[in-house]
Amino acid sequence: MENKEYLEKYNRGTHIIGRIVSAVAIFLLVGAPFLIGKIIGGMPDLSAVAKGFISVGLIWTISSVVEFLVYTPMLGAGGGYLAFITGNLINMKIPCAMNAKDMAGTKSGTTENEIISTLSIAASSLTTIVVLALGVILLAPLQPVLQSETLAPAFANVVPALFGAMAYQYFRKNLKLAMVPLVIMSILFILVPTLISQTSIMILPSGAITIALALFIYKKKGTIEG
Amino acid sequence: MATILNSPALYAICGTIIGFVAIVCVIFMIRAYKAGIAAGMDKAMLKRTITSSVTFTILPSVGILLGVIALSGSLGTPWPWLRLSVIGALHYETQVAQAAAEQVGVGSLSAANMTPVGFATIALLMSICIPWGMILSFFFNKSYLKKLQGKNKDEQNTDKKAGFGDSAMIAMFMGLVSAYIGSYIGGFISGEGLFTFKGDLTPLIVAIVSAVVMAIFTYFAEKKHMVWLESFSIAGSMLIGMLAAVFI
Repeated sequence: MENKEYLEKYNRGTHIIGRIVSAVAIFLLVGAPFLIGKIIGGMPDLSAVAKGFISVGLIWTISSVVEFLVYTPMLGAGGGYLAFITGNLINMKIPCAMNAKDMAGTKSGTTENEIISTLSIAASSLTTIVVLALGVILLAPLQPVLQSETLAPAFANVVPALFGAMAYQYFRKNLKLAMVPLVIMSILFILVPTLISQTSIMILPSGAITIALALFIYKKKGTIEG
Repeated sequence: MATILNSPALYAICGTIIGFVAIVCVIFMIRAYKAGIAAGMDKAMLKRTITSSVTFTILPSVGILLGVIALSGSLGTPWPWLRLSVIGALHYETQVAQAAAEQVGVGSLSAANMTPVGFATIALLMSICIPWGMILSFFFNKSYLKKLQGKNKDEQNTDKKAGFGDSAMIAMFMGLVSAYIGSYIGGFISGEGLFTFKGDLTPLIVAIVSAVVMAIFTYFAEKKHMVWLESFSIAGSMLIGMLAAVFI
């Protein structure tokens, strides 16, 4: 019983700390451009910010809401607060937490999963911070090499490389199911190429179709893998 | 301009914020570790979670570091360092920075055209487009999880439904990956005009190479029981896929 009380206290504490640090982080991140502006002698042009926000910000706002709704149940409380502060969700934190969860064999929504996910996200975030800090110090002299034109195509294709690896990882779980959104999306982008710049929004219908089909298969077979 | 954007003052501001987040991570990690022991979880498993997450993250972090370097050409080093250490993701930062540059009239993202106002505007736009995850967490994380937990309890009798959450995640990922790969296919076939097959083929080739390498990694990890490979499989596949782009 003592443990249960401890864990409840832990959970309450997580939300209190999570909220405080989220608020402080937002304040720091939004405040920094003004402070920097003061130092470099040019304040942000607020009307340009507003226009920019309408052109790109709205898309990211929608995808942030979706990310919050989809990832929070996977990450739990501690992992959720941390992941949204530290970012790089889709390309790192989510696969990392999923990997940790698979290795530990915990189920979404359990206390064990909450703990594994928090440990995983915290360790992952710290690693990124350390690697970047070391890199910024050590790689400064190497910048010309890394920015060379020969290597430019490699850095321009980070995202396709990630999605290729993830495609194998997830498509193999049910190839037939995966072919449905892949074919639909390909046809859509072939016929309406202007949508390519809006790919992040097209995730929504693509994901919705796949989830709906998955639910159908799940109800019939009890699993979607196979 | 480049010297101002790389001045010690900017390093100090960005470094302080990164330091704050690092401390937060340490606090969460210690708390979770202690709670894990209190919950009777295996210490070895908790430690393995940490080490596997660290190894999992090292290579992708090097990728992010390259992103910092890529952006540092136009925005200086400290600001991209902060953005990519803390909140952002490479594809997001690059896209928003470019859009902001267009709005301020700097045109394309380049150091030569950068002005103080331009930089401050870009920096602010990068900050305000993406904090929604934090804002939503601040207001709704607790109630959302509570609601989900209540739901889980109702469904505990019917194991089937409780387990669909994980399947839905897999399906969501399939949809997400399909949207991007579909966009590469569409880009190649119709990117330069409907059915002209003259668009950029590179992203598609990179994705395919990366998927093939991932398949090889998975084969050795699963069939040859080289489980340690799993920690490097995504990052390794990505790097080889990216390398392919250099040779196309």
